[in-house]
Amino acid sequence: MDPIILGVAVVNGILLGGLYGAVALGLSLIFGVMRVINFAHGTFLMFGLFIPYWLWQLFGINPYVSVLVAAPILFAVGYGVQATIIAPLFKRERAMVLEPLSVLLLTAGVGLILDNLTLMAFGPNVRAVQVRFASTSLWIGETLSINVPRLIAFVASVAIAVALSLFLSRTDLGRSIRSTAQNRDAAALCGINVPQIYNITFGLGCAVLGIVGCVMVPFYYVSPTVGLAFGVKSFIIVVLGGIGSIPGSILGGLILGIVESITAQFVTATSAATFSFLIFILVLFFRPTGLMGLKV
Amino acid sequence: MKRLLCGIGICLVVLALSSLTAVAGEKVDEVRIGIVVPLSGIGATVGTQMKTGATIAIEEINAKGGIKALGGAKLRLIAGDSQGKPDVGASETERLIQRENVHVMIGSYQSATTIVTTEVAERYKTPWVVLASVSDRITGRGFKYVFRPCNMAAYDANEQLQAIKHLTQEFGKGPKTYGLLVEGTEWGKSHAENVRRIAKEIGYDLVLDEAYPPGQADFSPQILKIRSKRPDFLIMAMYTPDHILFNKQQMEQRLDLAFGLHSVGSGAEDPAFYKALPVQAVEYMFVQEDFQIDITDVAPWTQAIDKKTREMLGYELNAYVAQGYSNAYIIADALERAGSADKDKIRDALAKTNITSGPALITGYQKIAFDATGQNVDSHGVISENLKGKRTTVWPVANRPKGIKPVWPIPAWKDR
Amino acid sequence: MSAHIRPARARTYAIPAVVLLLLLLAPAVIRNEYYLHVLVGVLFSAYLASAWNIVCGYTGQLSLGHAALCGIGGYISTLLFINIGLSPWVGMFLGASCATAAGVFVGYPCFRLRGPYFALTTIAFAEILRIWVDNTEEVFGVELRGAQGIMVPLKGQSPWLFQFTSKVPYYYIIIAMLLVVMAVTFWMERSRMGFYLKAIRADQDAAEALGINSTRYLLTAMALSSFLTALGGSFYAQYFRYINPERNMGLDLSIEVALMGIVGGQGTVLGPVLGAFLLTPAGEISRGFLGGKLMGLHLVIYGLVLVLAVLFLPKGLIQPIRQFFRRDSGGAQGPPGTAGRQDTRAPAA
Repeated sequence: MDPIILGVAVVNGILLGGLYGAVALGLSLIFGVMRVINFAHGTFLMFGLFIPYWLWQLFGINPYVSVLVAAPILFAVGYGVQATIIAPLFKRERAMVLEPLSVLLLTAGVGLILDNLTLMAFGPNVRAVQVRFASTSLWIGETLSINVPRLIAFVASVAIAVALSLFLSRTDLGRSIRSTAQNRDAAALCGINVPQIYNITFGLGCAVLGIVGCVMVPFYYVSPTVGLAFGVKSFIIVVLGGIGSIPGSILGGLILGIVESITAQFVTATSAATFSFLIFILVLFFRPTGLMGLKV
Repeated sequence: MKRLLCGIGICLVVLALSSLTAVAGEKVDEVRIGIVVPLSGIGATVGTQMKTGATIAIEEINAKGGIKALGGAKLRLIAGDSQGKPDVGASETERLIQRENVHVMIGSYQSATTIVTTEVAERYKTPWVVLASVSDRITGRGFKYVFRPCNMAAYDANEQLQAIKHLTQEFGKGPKTYGLLVEGTEWGKSHAENVRRIAKEIGYDLVLDEAYPPGQADFSPQILKIRSKRPDFLIMAMYTPDHILFNKQQMEQRLDLAFGLHSVGSGAEDPAFYKALPVQAVEYMFVQEDFQIDITDVAPWTQAIDKKTREMLGYELNAYVAQGYSNAYIIADALERAGSADKDKIRDALAKTNITSGPALITGYQKIAFDATGQNVDSHGVISENLKGKRTTVWPVANRPKGIKPVWPIPAWKDR
Repeated sequence: MSAHIRPARARTYAIPAVVLLLLLLAPAVIRNEYYLHVLVGVLFSAYLASAWNIVCGYTGQLSLGHAALCGIGGYISTLLFINIGLSPWVGMFLGASCATAAGVFVGYPCFRLRGPYFALTTIAFAEILRIWVDNTEEVFGVELRGAQGIMVPLKGQSPWLFQFTSKVPYYYIIIAMLLVVMAVTFWMERSRMGFYLKAIRADQDAAEALGINSTRYLLTAMALSSFLTALGGSFYAQYFRYINPERNMGLDLSIEVALMGIVGGQGTVLGPVLGAFLLTPAGEISRGFLGGKLMGLHLVIYGLVLVLAVLFLPKGLIQPIRQFFRRDSGGAQGPPGTAGRQDTRAPAA
């Protein structure tokens, strides 16, 4: 295997992996704090892509500027979904063994509803934003071209991860979230308003998707079904990297991206997906807490 | 709750009663056409286009007085959503035939679905006119009630390669090697199979054979592979979202192929695709179209339908709208000759179809007639090349607009 | 303590018996094949959900990979039929045996994982299988046709080859299969194994501390479930006469099956059946009335039904029904507030 090709594959894998990691961040947070498998994760990403698209289409607003709009809107949506639809389930499930599973179904149902409402509202067409800089690339040598928006997305992903980490470790709210993740009842005893924390966490997880969507939209496409592919990948990444670990999420994303990119050079891409799943299974069996996770 | 069980009991009784009251005979003031296509899920764009085409045609036919041989009977379109799943399509087919009592059916875009839905129709002896599904298996089963006006997969592959062969002769320069990049499910893979077979006969060497899972976020790995293997031309089979991504990235990464990109359509026939990309991303790309995209230049009567399509969908006439439109006219033609709404008589009339002019030829064929397997052997697509942002038909030469000269070989990115 | 627990009320069985009778008589009254088709669909879903329930309802683990087992059954019986002419009646049992081996093989390491991890791992295994089949044209000379799927050759009316021209024989076969699954569940629930599974489900560590070999019982349940699910896959192949990896091994099917089990009521005999009876017609009806008109509306309704079911019937549809019967039996069977929580009390009423 030509080392240059391999090198290029690794670079591509890193760029894409960072993005995967950012998408998975929200899921990791929600999973880590509330033990909720959010099956609607892909749906919220789809929202995160639609908002900057419409802002560009209707008002000509640059997607990167749309972050200021998308993040708060998605925070509100996430907060609302958790507060009104999922919270009642938590109240009921408190002592039951079935805890995470009904919520999983609930989020699946919510995802189904939102996906199809979007389909009804906007139709199935695939759309894309066309911004002038979207096609500019940085060239290194003759074979390696780095697409600028993808590079920006990568940088943004890392930035989000860092910001989130700092938020969780330095601020009071962040600490409240972490303690709730460690032990819900103890946190409640310390006077933390656990339902409120849940709402905020869910909102945060979705807000991250809002930001990610805005940086993705210059080079990706928008349609009601766009979130699906990322949904399953996010789960793999979260487990790979470790539940509730922010750096783990990025690391997991990078690993997945690189593995996908390299294996695609040797086998057809459809078979390459098998490797991702295999790695996932191996990690689960031999290191269930993931590479950087908290003990479950 | 007692109510639930009573409810179940009542449901069963209601079902029983409604079946008893099912009307046995057909009303001949209306002929019902059932359409089963994806109206949700991934294929929804195309399903809607097909439904729109059929709707436009039916409105026209009804406005002109319906089916004269049936005393002015009106046509009515009844839709079912296959969701892109074969068993759901089968259920919908059952429902349309059994409950809605349709006389004839059309559909279903995805070959995997059509294989199953046509079998259901065959069992119920209901004629079926295929929409867009190219799998060879659909007409290869000895069924009597299935008719396909459009291309078989083998035709698509053949046309792509014949066009390349022709351009080689026309310009005196041609490719020796090629690559395949297809979506990894039924359609992509069967197209690849056909291309491999025909290309071998012609004598091209396969240097790259790639399938990818639909919904991929980054084609850099594939572009990298293409760069290292250097095929002279690339044949692609992609659905819209992937096609958009790929074209964007090959432009960003300035992928050079001496004899260009050759797409077998689907994504590249979707108007949304062209809306989503800048012109440079699609320039010089060849597309095998099941429909002559510049037909509004060649056949002015199609402009009215183009206008209607723009009103209803927001973009112009395309292959799928045209097929929906055409199928409705094929059925109307059969009804006029059958003089009856009896399903077997419709079937026999369809078998004897011989259309050489009229609205049914909006798809650009010269003739529609079905052979013993139900296939229209005169169906053909055209190959267009994207010149200055306009898809221009270059093959067959008979369909080429006057004064058009294709660009061959394809200029490198630095020369554009 | 007796190994078998006596059922409390004859009345509990009277209503299901009546429904069964109605179902058995239905084809005599219902002539319209579409309605029969819907019923077959509902019963088939009930069958798969009940087979799923045998392992998932009683162990508390959520498997989202059951479609793979279904697919294995369907593919093997069909391949045997196409390649060596073996009647699917025999082939389906061979397929089921393979699926059982697969299920146990995968289950063994997986049962160490808990909760969502187990679920995600089942998804991973199922997807690996699906992707492999998707990409494989042939293996050892046997054509798999990858993503294109396999068609079961049309033989018309051939009972020995498990093909019928009318829907009615399929209808009775699926009823029979469903009754078998329900009987197996019933027997298992009331046997020692069922008792141990309840303990494992409530608290696996405590159960093991008491000396229960949880692996053995979990794997037995998994084996039973896999076997029965695969039989269902063969039925599907013979009914629709077309299988492909996307639909028959895909995540969609796994989720549908799990949904019915959970919405209907896990860990009960009737629960999954009820779930199927609610969700399948809801899907059909909403698609029938709304599908063609407004794109995706029927899926919104389906999702809504799901959300409401989870929110208001968390133990499944079976719960209000059980409560009805408990009230009706003239006095609470236990402390108030425990009605419906049949998984935490040992000798259940």
